[in-house]
Amino acid sequence: MSASAGPKVKDWLSGLARDSQKWIRATVAAGMIAGLATIAQMVLLAWVVHEGVIEKTPVAELVPAFLTLLAVLVIRAAGQGLQTRFAARCSEQVRRGARRQLHRHWQALGPVRLADTSSASLAREWLDHTEALHGYFARYLPQMLLAVIIPLVILILVFWLDWLAGIFLVLSAPLIPLFMALVGMGAEKLNQQHFETVSRLSGQFLDKVRGLTTLQLFGQTQAASRTLAVRSDQYRQITMKTLKVAFLSSAVLEFFASVAIAVLAIYIGFGLLGYIQFGPSTELTLFSGLLILLLAPEFFQPLRTLSQHYHDRAAALGAGAEILARLAQPVPNGDRPEPSVANSSRDIRFNGVTVAYDDAPVLFEGLDLRLSAGEVTALTGPSGGGKSTLLHLLAGFVQPTAGSIDVLGQPPGTDAFGWLGQKGFWVQGSWAENLRLTTPDATDIAIESALRQVGLGELLDSREDGIHSLIAEDGQGLSGGQARRLSLARIFLADYPLILLDEPTAGLDATSEILVLDALHKLSAAGKTIIFSTHHQALLAIADRVLIVDSGEVRDA
Amino acid sequence: MPDLKPWLALIFRRRGRLVNGALLLLGTLLSGIGLLALSGWFLTETALVGLLLAAGVQASINLYVPGGGIRFFAVSRTVFRYLERVYNHNTVLQLLTDIRVAYFDQLAARTGSERRARTGAQWLSRLTADVDALDTLYLRLIAPASLAALVTLVLAGLVWLLLSGPIALVVAALLGFAFVLSSWLVYQRTRQSSGQLNDRQENLRSELVEHLEGFAELTAANRTGKTTARLMRRSIELARSQARIDTRTGWHQAGAQLLINLAAVLSLWLGFYLFEQGVVTGPVLVLVPIALLGLAEVYAMLPEAFGKLGATRAAARRLSTDSRAVAETTGTSRLRSEPLTGGLRAQDITVGHPGQAPLLTHFSLELDAGNTVGIVGVSGSGKSTLADTLAGMIPPMAGHVDSEAVAYLTQSTMIFEDTVRANLLLANPGADDGALWRVLELVELAERLAQRPEGLDTWLGSAGSRLSGGEARRLALARVLLSPAPVVILDEPFTGVDSATRERVSPALSRWLEGRTVVCLGHGPEALLASDRVLHL
Repeated sequence: MSASAGPKVKDWLSGLARDSQKWIRATVAAGMIAGLATIAQMVLLAWVVHEGVIEKTPVAELVPAFLTLLAVLVIRAAGQGLQTRFAARCSEQVRRGARRQLHRHWQALGPVRLADTSSASLAREWLDHTEALHGYFARYLPQMLLAVIIPLVILILVFWLDWLAGIFLVLSAPLIPLFMALVGMGAEKLNQQHFETVSRLSGQFLDKVRGLTTLQLFGQTQAASRTLAVRSDQYRQITMKTLKVAFLSSAVLEFFASVAIAVLAIYIGFGLLGYIQFGPSTELTLFSGLLILLLAPEFFQPLRTLSQHYHDRAAALGAGAEILARLAQPVPNGDRPEPSVANSSRDIRFNGVTVAYDDAPVLFEGLDLRLSAGEVTALTGPSGGGKSTLLHLLAGFVQPTAGSIDVLGQPPGTDAFGWLGQKGFWVQGSWAENLRLTTPDATDIAIESALRQVGLGELLDSREDGIHSLIAEDGQGLSGGQARRLSLARIFLADYPLILLDEPTAGLDATSEILVLDALHKLSAAGKTIIFSTHHQALLAIADRVLIVDSGEVRDA
Repeated sequence: MPDLKPWLALIFRRRGRLVNGALLLLGTLLSGIGLLALSGWFLTETALVGLLLAAGVQASINLYVPGGGIRFFAVSRTVFRYLERVYNHNTVLQLLTDIRVAYFDQLAARTGSERRARTGAQWLSRLTADVDALDTLYLRLIAPASLAALVTLVLAGLVWLLLSGPIALVVAALLGFAFVLSSWLVYQRTRQSSGQLNDRQENLRSELVEHLEGFAELTAANRTGKTTARLMRRSIELARSQARIDTRTGWHQAGAQLLINLAAVLSLWLGFYLFEQGVVTGPVLVLVPIALLGLAEVYAMLPEAFGKLGATRAAARRLSTDSRAVAETTGTSRLRSEPLTGGLRAQDITVGHPGQAPLLTHFSLELDAGNTVGIVGVSGSGKSTLADTLAGMIPPMAGHVDSEAVAYLTQSTMIFEDTVRANLLLANPGADDGALWRVLELVELAERLAQRPEGLDTWLGSAGSRLSGGEARRLALARVLLSPAPVVILDEPFTGVDSATRERVSPALSRWLEGRTVVCLGHGPEALLASDRVLHL
């Protein structure tokens, strides 16, 4: 993470926190209740001991105090329980918010820009990186506040009891930020080191597993296993060197907390004996002395808890930086130009369309084009000539930099249309579920007929449950050609007036090719407006109009 | 817990380290409790003596022993804590190695086609998340739980000694309940949802990837809103389930802390009766509840660890499933009957992956020693599966394959993240540098490597990333050539190699392989070595 990204991530995280302010406040409030109840518990304990042991009050008279003590214990537990409950709710809300933001961003980016990143990375951002925000909001953030408030309350109380003891604690107070920095550095290093080791080791491990077949073929699995063990052990030794230093910082915190308790105990003991004759020491009683002793660990406890949660912060900052980088990806200008004229004609028009990507030469400049509805138009020309861009413009996946496009009287993408990309798309599930993705209310009969239209009938007949059988029943799924025909079946089923296809037959086997051609014929006969890009001679033959798209120029063939 | 058993057995092989680590942990815990308890005792003692002194009564107090004790505990707590963390993390890293190596060995016992069923992402999560869940089993679960039980018993015994039997029973009952609450009960209440979390998350991930892959089609159909809403709903359900686990864990933790505090307060309350009767002294009366309060730290880690036990068991189950599959399949070893004289014979074999339709039937091949046969087939014709079968990687669905030891160049190129030398030596661990340079010369990589200062020790990055596709292919080829096996099977030997290089390398290759039995498979005749005959699939 670069230095400049840091503050931005923190801003983004606090933005998320603002949306869940209610739950964060509730978490802190519950933590406060638990903290204050703890202090009350210690006060009552010290008081009861003092009354009983020093003042020799009979136990019977202490019963109300004991009952109050029990009530305080219950309040403390309730506070603790509620704290985790609210924290869990807060984190839930935050993750939901972050996921919504990502979804909205994907939507704004559109399918073309989104395809630049692999689905697996996008999925990782959406799932795992938002997950990494959990610890920060559920634990670190509330604990940040509690680590300030609770020690402060204890400090005030101790000062009131015995200002000299208070000074002991205050002396360590300026050290607290120092501790935090120390611990933080240690924790960050530890975290980083741990991740590095794990990922390096995993890399090695994964590499060996990936190559297991090769290792087996050469009979080298045992040797590889030994290498794995040796390498793993080397990394362990390197990591341990770092860990030894990293753990020192938390040992310092531990040391100061222990020493503070020891110093206070001995100071109070000598004060109670009357050996110390200055300041407030003469006024020490068992009550005040014991209370100070009991509060001392509670003074350091929130800080120790915070240091345990420090790695949550590092994890959230790392994940946040990546999510933010995605959200910062420029979105094409969202304001869609209105149709230039009140266009009642049902055709397709490009009016002075210019397309220029950020750092690439201008693709189209002032393009005017008119395509008739109900016609089959083929776009052909060299690759990189702009065929796909033209289709993306018609689909509304890409917005023109200038000019406007009317698609059947509407801006592109307003009405649903059929789209067939170079890869067909299917989900784990039945044939019917796959077709209902785009047409939820289709009948079983319509689904079956659509599948037969694209030549998937035979495959369907071989399955026991017909359209309700799982696509990947045999564990294999669909071939590229079958998947593309499944997508075509969706288009048949939905009865869209406009159908856009990007190289519909590229890379298909002969059978699928014929079936796709056949399907396009049927769609054309049904009066659909069909526009596709292709190099394929047989496809060009079925077009009513063939356009050659080459370096920003579009002309009839 | 049958799922955890084999892994626990593995962990307990390092018994000595586990015990030492636990002792250090125990030292830390007892020092912490001792520091506070002794301080409490000391304060009460000094307060009482102070009163006597103030009243002018002669009284004496030994300051040396408790003062020294307090200082000792303050230091020992820090030292133990530090040592414990260093020592136990070292143990965890050793366990990580143990578990990974054991898992690797189990996988190595399986054949390639069985492993193919899993995707790279699934492997990654097995190898990292699932193994991690197991290597921290000791530090998060076993050690803290057994120490909490031990310290609880020690303290109950202390109460018995210092106060009385009945009070010790009350304390033991409360603490016992706290123990069950923060271990067994948390586990029971979270087991199911915790165990399902990983699966649900992976399902959501594949749905998400499907959504992203169909994004263009769904956008065109104006349906992204629907699938987005479904994904959000799924993720909300998942997050809610996680929140429920967290909340339940939190409440159990709060309950356990409440019980510990109750034990402390009740021991004080009941102790007061003994104090009134003069059976116990004030300082001892104070020592006991303060020591009990210290237990809170001992119990603090338990609920969270037990809340994750369901997930840990699920992880162990996933890893164990892999090893169980091994046990089932190691029985079907490949066929290799009486050795031939350097030839290869396939009799009427049916080729395919188990459970799927056969790709090739009635395939026979008789190859005498020293002959070269070319097999041509378009992609999808079952060419690579045939190569796998001939090489003995997968058994034929019917028929027999008899062959001498085979060196096999698979269709996919596998270069390890290691040195060039290590990559080559796989095929022939005894080969000297001269032999390595000769095969590199043959595939025209020698010059390029000789320019590198590290020579044969040049490190090949992730998945051989410092080599181009063609270079990686040639290196894999060189590795196969180095193998002394009498039979060589080459599946698309020149993938990614430009035609000029191929034309130079191919004849040299034929010369090198002279006298050996060679099967060369390719998509067309130009992809083959010079052959005695060519079969078309």
